[in-house]
Amino acid sequence: MDTLILSTVLAVALLLMLASGFWVALSLVGVGVLGLVLSGNDQIGLLFATATWGASTSWSLTALPLFIWMGEILFRTRLSEDLFKGLSPLLSGLPGRLLHVNVLSCGIFAAVSGSSAATAATIGRMTLPELKARGYSERMAVGTLAGSGTLGLLIPPSIILIVYGVAAEVSIGRLFIAGALPGLLLVTLFMGYTACWALLNKDELPKNSDEKISAKDKILALQKLFPIVGLIVFVLGSIYGGLTTPTEAAALGVVGALFLAFASKALTRKSFLESLQGAVKSSCMIGLILVGAHFLTLAMGFLGIPKSLAFWISEMSLSPVELLLYLTVLFVVLGCFLDGISVVVLTTAVVLPMVQQAGIDLLWFGIYIVLVVEMSQITPPVGFNLFVIQALTGKDILYVARAALPFFLLILFAVVLITWFPQIVTFLPTNMTGG
Amino acid sequence: MRKFLNNMYLASGYLSGFCILLITLLIVSQVIGRLFGFIVPSVEDFSGYSLAAATFFGLAYTFREGGHIRVSLAIKFLPASSRRIQELFILAVALLLCAFMSFYTIHLSWESYIFEEVSYGYIPVPIWLPQVPVALGMVMFTIAIADDFFCTLLGQTPNYLKHEDELDVESGLGGDN
Amino acid sequence: AQWHMPTPYGDSNHPTKIAYQFAEEIKEKTNGELDITVHSGASLVKHPEIPRAVKTGQVQMGEVFIGIMGNTHPIFKHDNIPFLATNYDDAKKLWNAAKPEMQKQLNKEGMTLLYSVAWPAQSLYSKDAVNSLADLEGSRMRAYSPSTSRLADLMGTTPTTIQVPEIPQAFSTGIIDAMITSPSTGANGQAWDYVKNYTDIQAWIPKNVVVVNTRSFKRLDKGTQKIILDAAANAEKRGWEIVQSEAKKDTQTLIDHGIVVAQPSETLLKELAVIGETMEAEWLAESGPEIKALIENYKK
Ligand code: NA
Ligand code: NA
Repeated sequence: MDTLILSTVLAVALLLMLASGFWVALSLVGVGVLGLVLSGNDQIGLLFATATWGASTSWSLTALPLFIWMGEILFRTRLSEDLFKGLSPLLSGLPGRLLHVNVLSCGIFAAVSGSSAATAATIGRMTLPELKARGYSERMAVGTLAGSGTLGLLIPPSIILIVYGVAAEVSIGRLFIAGALPGLLLVTLFMGYTACWALLNKDELPKNSDEKISAKDKILALQKLFPIVGLIVFVLGSIYGGLTTPTEAAALGVVGALFLAFASKALTRKSFLESLQGAVKSSCMIGLILVGAHFLTLAMGFLGIPKSLAFWISEMSLSPVELLLYLTVLFVVLGCFLDGISVVVLTTAVVLPMVQQAGIDLLWFGIYIVLVVEMSQITPPVGFNLFVIQALTGKDILYVARAALPFFLLILFAVVLITWFPQIVTFLPTNMTGG
Repeated sequence: MRKFLNNMYLASGYLSGFCILLITLLIVSQVIGRLFGFIVPSVEDFSGYSLAAATFFGLAYTFREGGHIRVSLAIKFLPASSRRIQELFILAVALLLCAFMSFYTIHLSWESYIFEEVSYGYIPVPIWLPQVPVALGMVMFTIAIADDFFCTLLGQTPNYLKHEDELDVESGLGGDN
Repeated sequence: AQWHMPTPYGDSNHPTKIAYQFAEEIKEKTNGELDITVHSGASLVKHPEIPRAVKTGQVQMGEVFIGIMGNTHPIFKHDNIPFLATNYDDAKKLWNAAKPEMQKQLNKEGMTLLYSVAWPAQSLYSKDAVNSLADLEGSRMRAYSPSTSRLADLMGTTPTTIQVPEIPQAFSTGIIDAMITSPSTGANGQAWDYVKNYTDIQAWIPKNVVVVNTRSFKRLDKGTQKIILDAAANAEKRGWEIVQSEAKKDTQTLIDHGIVVAQPSETLLKELAVIGETMEAEWLAESGPEIKALIENYKK
């Protein structure tokens, strides 16, 4: 069958399966089977088994359940509360005051959590009621949370960077380092926007400025930040201090999180088991999607689709920027219906050969793809940050999405910036790891 | 029967959790080993096997809890009667697909046994051993799907739907991650 | 017919280039009747799964690093015994001696041996210059297999497992201070960014083999079979030539980027030879008489 027709048939089949409510992971397996059947392959079952075993035993992926578990443990501690209480006195001088707490808490929590939904949920559970009680604009509170929750994906550790690193065979350690500066860039953009907005919309902020805070109180508040800063230093420090690889850092992170939970008396038999069950649910879900995606990738390899597409794209002789433009549109559209991990695993098989063909650095592309996926976390109808915040506030999803729109645009701006100045991504990895 | 099945699903979740715990312990022991100058052999292999076991053991539990994600955008708007047919339909397809997957993961393990395949790391492990949890997990997953298929056929609400509908903060955690 | 051939390494490596030429030659000589798609860089099947995929007919052909099969039969370990064959002529001789036994073992598993491609000789990368093993004492050396781990032990270092993509970070953060690998791996991975010394100890010359599923092969007519075998012979011949020029070119690349390339001192060579004897004896102790015969044959 002609490759173009075959690709179209498979793409339509995938969309139909997804739209009919078929589970994402099983849809991937189903389309893989369909593709192999159409190409007359008679070893489908054996190929599935090979792909399954290869995909599910990868050493780099072992960090995945560990970072998830770490987040689940921290979710059950007082960490987010401490973050809020520690940061609020420090930020009371900035225009927009406590709204910045939302952004910064997310940024800090992102440095120990691998996921954006976990970041938004953990921080939002604490900050949203506080902000509301003090009379801040609800729309802005929701928007800052939705936007900065996505930092969980970009600031290391990041589950999606692990998935990408495995697929693209890029060092996960270097990807983590590469995510740091763009993460700070986003924090700066978000806080800058929040400050500007606050200056322009004084009437949507609480009238009575918060009481003056003495230097002594500020120092006392700072102490509340010690545990989480300690954990960040412990986890990231062990990677960059040369003690561990990212996978090992994940295991140490679990130990550190358990220790924090124990020290804050949040560690009970019940909370321990609950955190583990939470980790099981997330990692099995992602694990099966990865198995499905790996099988689909294998099927596509047999059908020769990625090669034909890459060839086709190279025939069009797009410039890298044009290619990126098309890919951004593709990812944002996909992200409207799929979650971030699925977008990455679904597309890497087809997209990475093209990207390499165009001479784009795969390390840089990893950060680019994460930024675009971050945007997709806050676009309806499927955006996990939207779901989380919807569940937290009871507001309908379109309201949340509208509130998050400025932050969507800011991330888009960040994408433009890193394309213009790729050094934002590559500076740290080249200088910290020597290569 | 009901009780046995529910216990099995719960056990699948606990087994999976145990494997995640095992990965943590294995890797921590490797770090400690390096600090004190001894090597814990084949940690990559064993944590890889535990990862596979964790993923597959937990499939049934995750399915029951509505943890496997899907796009409910379109089906949300279906009227109740069509919705039931739609759920029955996808359950039937999933059942076929998972039976197929189960058969071949069992076949994989059996073939490794016949071929006497061993891993290529420090400690030569007969590969069929760590492949058994994959097959076992897949079979339990298939049973869970069959369970919900028959429940739906009898007019009950499938178990995963009960949990999907109560999208709370924690199931949001199961989301993108 | 349309055949698939997964290979473990990427397009920039010479074994993969040879695989492409091999497939091209067959396609040309069969007038397009047999079209072999090469899937490089483990993009179709992951490396450890390749032998099995060929064996069970999921793919018709495949390329695999011999060492990866080391635990299945002692014959596959001949490829990774340090200081047994330390130049390309000896390596060729060793391969010819090992070939019948390799052929036999692969046949047992339903595969037919087509050709082998050697990698450049494996030498020592280290942070500091190494004149004798004492210079390596207390350092940590990368190990990725039972034999590299044993070797690290015997060299008085601590074997440390690091995956290929993490090598640069492992060096720059001090998780490892030494590794044994080919000049090509070093040149491709820009080793100059994190390591300063290269001692050309030529410890061993490992190889990939390309195998075909025996049943798929036998279903072909005699003419096509001959075309494949001829192309394989050409590929093997080309491989031995290319590997030596590659090794020279890549060593020069290392020098050009400021790595100190040194010949091993007499002391070091003597120390390493002793280690080689130990490992050879250990290997022979676990192998059957046919391997002993093979080694005697090689040493003649
Ligand atoms: Na993060
Ligand atoms: Na979205």
